[in-house]
Amino acid sequence: MAYFIQLVIEGLATGSIYGALALAIVLVNRATGLINFAQGGMAVLSTFVAYALYHAGAPLALAILGAVVFAFVLGAAIERIIVRPFERGDPDTAVVVTIGLFVLIGGVAAFFFGYEPRQFPSFFGLETLDLGGVFVSVRSLGTIVVLALVVALLQLLFRGTKLGLAMRAVADNPQSASLSGLPVSRLLMIGWGLASVLGVIAGVLVAPQLFVSPGMLDFVLVYALAAAILGGLDSPLGAVVAAWFIGVIENLAGAYIDVIGNDLKIAVPFVVMIIILIVRPQGLFGRKVVVRV
Amino acid sequence: MTLLELEGVTASYGHAEVLHGISFRVDENEAFGILGANGAGKTTTLRAISGMVATGGRITFDGTDITGFRPDKVAALGIAHVPEGRGTLGDLSVRDNLRVGAYRRSDRAGVAEDIELCLDLFPNLRARIGSNASALSGGEQQMLAVSRAIMAKPRLILLDEASLGLAPSTAQTVYRAIKRLRSEQGVAMVVVEQNAMLAFSVVDQAIVLETGATSLTGSRDELLGMDEVRRAYLGG
Amino acid sequence: MDTLTRLSKNLAVRIGIGVVVAVVLVVAPLISSKYVNYQLGLIAVFAVAILGLNIVMGYAGQVSLGQSAFLGLGAYIAAYLVTADLPIPPELVVPVSLVLCAIIPAAVGLVVALAAARLRGLALAMVTIALPIIGIPLAKRFREFTGGSQGTTVSWLRAPDWTEGFLENDQWRYYVVVVIAVLMFVLARNLVRGRMGRAFRIVKENEAVALAMGISPYRYKVMAFTIASLFGGVAGFMYLGIVQYTSPETLSFHTSINMVAAMVIGGSASILGTIFGAIYFVLVPTLANEIDSSLTALISGAILLAVLFLVPGGLVSLPRRIAQVARRLGGRRATATPQNPSDEARTPGTTAPESTEKNKGKRQGQ
Repeated sequence: MAYFIQLVIEGLATGSIYGALALAIVLVNRATGLINFAQGGMAVLSTFVAYALYHAGAPLALAILGAVVFAFVLGAAIERIIVRPFERGDPDTAVVVTIGLFVLIGGVAAFFFGYEPRQFPSFFGLETLDLGGVFVSVRSLGTIVVLALVVALLQLLFRGTKLGLAMRAVADNPQSASLSGLPVSRLLMIGWGLASVLGVIAGVLVAPQLFVSPGMLDFVLVYALAAAILGGLDSPLGAVVAAWFIGVIENLAGAYIDVIGNDLKIAVPFVVMIIILIVRPQGLFGRKVVVRV
Repeated sequence: MTLLELEGVTASYGHAEVLHGISFRVDENEAFGILGANGAGKTTTLRAISGMVATGGRITFDGTDITGFRPDKVAALGIAHVPEGRGTLGDLSVRDNLRVGAYRRSDRAGVAEDIELCLDLFPNLRARIGSNASALSGGEQQMLAVSRAIMAKPRLILLDEASLGLAPSTAQTVYRAIKRLRSEQGVAMVVVEQNAMLAFSVVDQAIVLETGATSLTGSRDELLGMDEVRRAYLGG
Repeated sequence: MDTLTRLSKNLAVRIGIGVVVAVVLVVAPLISSKYVNYQLGLIAVFAVAILGLNIVMGYAGQVSLGQSAFLGLGAYIAAYLVTADLPIPPELVVPVSLVLCAIIPAAVGLVVALAAARLRGLALAMVTIALPIIGIPLAKRFREFTGGSQGTTVSWLRAPDWTEGFLENDQWRYYVVVVIAVLMFVLARNLVRGRMGRAFRIVKENEAVALAMGISPYRYKVMAFTIASLFGGVAGFMYLGIVQYTSPETLSFHTSINMVAAMVIGGSASILGTIFGAIYFVLVPTLANEIDSSLTALISGAILLAVLFLVPGGLVSLPRRIAQVARRLGGRRATATPQNPSDEARTPGTTAPESTEKNKGKRQGQ
């Protein structure tokens, strides 16, 4: 039983990482109508910045803060300079653009930092707690708490602030929003900047475990995409729930179903996702999409 | 006092020029109509003012040359555009739509007052204040769109085909509220309408467009007196 | 530029070009080194793989990020068949392998497509991503068939005895692979120009319109995907022929992504563009490695973005694009030009009178 709880908590922790990146993907999709395949790459580059700052002597918290600022600027700049012309156009062209970004940013990271995996300190330390027979790492708990906090803050931003209202309006109908005086261009940049920050949070949280390298978040990205789609693509909460679900199922299946084992457990979330999507194409929490002819 | 002036305004979509030199003037407190058949360029004229289309010529608002300004800059100067198709923010609630309309304002008390004013003008909206805007009927969405414009406390409202797609009685309701708005608040307006009778219930001056150029112009009474207008819009 | 267009439409000129190309293809391996033949062979391999990708993605408009899985599957099937003891005469091993390398991946693609084609465009893309991701651990697992993580080395497609003395192994392999490639290209060309190709285009353009015309988007998506898988499998056979080795790495997700990039750079929805794409896919990483290996990804990404911005139709449309830009710089009245993202209005506020409803529908990942 204790083992089961451990697996669940670890699954929630991994799921939280997927969830942070999935949130970024959903945010970008709502604001600009495209799926950003480079979301993981942007997060990794920003994590490298944290790494560089830390090794230049900055305390970890400051290094992370610096990376957050970098991530925001990076996201805003990429939206304005590279992605803007492709928004709300053919979604497949946009996919290829973000794939190009994915390759380019990975290349930039490799150019500056090489392909050798680097160690990154854990913000939450390395302790393990013994909670009545269940062994849980502080890092895992911390990760889950961070994600929950992020979700709460995002809710607060979108439902309770003027900025959040403006971002929702722009995501809904940018042309109409501009007629009410909303600075659409600036708001789109902010949206991407915010998404990029969510990405670097995922990166910094998982770096101690995965070691920082240009490809660090490649797999996480795929899981995050799966979670975002499973959650319905327009529901931030749905993406997070789906991400937790994926993390937990992956862990449980890997541990309890022998034929799957550790190497094939990555297949489990996909199989589950495919089944769910066939039964319910709009995802768990999405709205049924009515395409006007 | 001239509030809005268009001088030789042209507009193009890509390489196709659809407006060929439109000129007119709207004074403060005046309601000005743009009439004409489908495709005459009425909507394009409003889009030119709002900077939504490639524009040539000169557009002046309260002394400032606003030709080619971005839509949000135009809105910031005090022009509220109720677009064709209403521009409803479907994912947002009715209340949030109104709040978006007031985006540029910082006087929270004034905003609350104006929400009340809108709900008073359009009682249908009061019952739906919490619903998602996409759940509203066409008429209600039109009322919401006009309310959103009012929320900006604008000096000039651009009203594009407010009766489009509405049942005649609903269109009447909308226009009655617009008349009330005119008489109570004195906001200047440019009203684009295919339905001339509805337009004439609100406007004092008007032009009639035909394939991107002005074909007739005059005061309400003058236009109503013209044979062409009577034949085209009022069945002889 | 107009002279060039007129020239290219002239039948005599086209036949002439065709003859020249054929001669070059035939003569090349006889005068080149083993290394060059290897590269040329690889280009043929990936030309076929990217061709399949182009059919499902470029023509039918379905994003597929799993083409490498079919390539790998084909390679593994061939590897197994040529090393196992099969109850068929040795001369038949190669043709039988080719057929199976076409059929089995196609069958897998068919099953996947039947399940996934009903999903929205993006969900379908996710399913295709899952293929290499699940494929790699599967390949490592089934060690008896695949050789596990080490992969399988083979030695087959040796130059037959009757060519003794004038053809080396590498040259023979080149010819086999190029002949297969030419056949696949002819097949693709006929497909694309025929009813199926037209149906694909309509489905890509607007599914609702396709339905209204009696074309079932689901059916054609499944067909497109199956065809792509078939091409992928054949490419896998060819791959094993040239490289003589396969491993789980062949299925890698990165290969899929790079093939998509190469397809776009060469020119999507274009047969000739596919060849440019294959040349890019094989040569650019080699060249970039010569310059500085840590720059490879950076250069590739930069080129892809540059193409998307400046020559969205891919390299194959470069002449047209240059002419377009020249005309515009010359200030003359531009004739109807294809839409390029760099030409569209920069701020979302300035658009032509399209209802935002249409774009809303598009936004949801098709």
